[in-house]
Amino acid sequence: MVLQALARLKAERNARFAAGVFVCGLALLASGCASLFPQTAELRDGLPEGMPEQVELKQVPFFPQVEYQCGPAALATALVAAGAKVTPEELVPQVYLPERKGSLQVEMLAAARRHGMVSYLLAPRFVDLLRELSAGNPVIVLQDQSPLGTWHYAVAVGYDYDAGDLILRSGERERQKLPFYVHEFLWRRSGYWAMVVVPPDRVPATADEARWLGSIAALERAGGAREARTAYQKFLERWPQNTGASIGLANAHHALGELPQAERVLREAARRDPESVIVLNNLAQTLSDQNRDAEALPFIERAAALGGPHAAAVDQTRQAILGRLAARRKN
Amino acid sequence: MQSSLARAVCRVLIALTIWTPYQIAQAGMIGTDQVVQQSSHSDRSTVLNLISRSDVASQLQAFGIDPSTAKDRVASMSDEEVRYLSGKIESLPAGANNSAVVLVVVLVLIAAGVWWYYKR
Repeated sequence: MVLQALARLKAERNARFAAGVFVCGLALLASGCASLFPQTAELRDGLPEGMPEQVELKQVPFFPQVEYQCGPAALATALVAAGAKVTPEELVPQVYLPERKGSLQVEMLAAARRHGMVSYLLAPRFVDLLRELSAGNPVIVLQDQSPLGTWHYAVAVGYDYDAGDLILRSGERERQKLPFYVHEFLWRRSGYWAMVVVPPDRVPATADEARWLGSIAALERAGGAREARTAYQKFLERWPQNTGASIGLANAHHALGELPQAERVLREAARRDPESVIVLNNLAQTLSDQNRDAEALPFIERAAALGGPHAAAVDQTRQAILGRLAARRKN
Repeated sequence: MQSSLARAVCRVLIALTIWTPYQIAQAGMIGTDQVVQQSSHSDRSTVLNLISRSDVASQLQAFGIDPSTAKDRVASMSDEEVRYLSGKIESLPAGANNSAVVLVVVLVLIAAGVWWYYKR
């Protein structure tokens, strides 16, 4: 209540966001304000082109947290918004750590994969948070309230640039409005930690090529081959030259038993990147799995000739192919 | 010397027993994680990753998770995440509650307010 009253009082005075930051800028040298809220200060220069001044994702659900379980509540909020069917209670055994009375950041990222979603750690930039919101993705943020409190997960669902407010689902509050600089004050000590959860057919607005590939590979590794296949396909629509994504897509096809598709993807990748040992090895293996060892042999020989860190794995594949060829000749 | 070697071997064996069924699912194929990590010793890092996975799983158990749940939780992490967690579960931030948020916010607002009117 006090907060709201203060915020309203502030709004009634000339507390337009830009003005606030301007004054902040004036007082910067004396008070060290900008060093407290460096990213809020940067935002005063305006939003990047094409971003709306106001965003609120009203359809994002609200799960009030129970006791210390803001991790499960925040994750459920983001997962359901992305289209998963899950409740905070179901997430408790997946992210909550009883003896720490909380949830670790890594586990928040990891648990989303168990629901067929790709989790992506945002770059530590305020404007990236706003950009994801304007693209329709709610953002889980980690705030630090120590020494008075402790670490807390909240979900940003909107902002009002003119008023300088961020809108969050937080703890027991369905719609918390925090001035940008207050949020930054709470957020910065987590290293501006923020994540989004998106369905595999979507790419986050701020996705970085290499890190987004890593996020999909993590989903694939966690057993989500079917979802990873979709995500790799989307990835290749955006970045068609990426050999790593082709390898990932082929591996997902292979894991799902779709060998001809895996072969097609790998042949295409080998045309683009003929020096990739992994592409050559996996193409040879995929051909061998289709009982085409004679066709596989030149590829694995080329991979063996190139050497490198995967030499041992390549040699294993080569021995297996040679063995199968020898066995066939004997019969 | 001998006992530390024996311990290392035992750990590798335990790790292998626990994780091998998941690792050999695609024999012969080099995994996408190898592309992402760009590691220079792929075989060595595979073994080390298995050990860190079983380490992290047993650390999670120490914080109140039962063994099979801990294993499932570790299975959804990437190798990088496992390495990051290993040995640090005690000290890393664990998001918990927000009882103090209002207090902090009020304090910040009061400070900002005082400073605001002072400057005007």
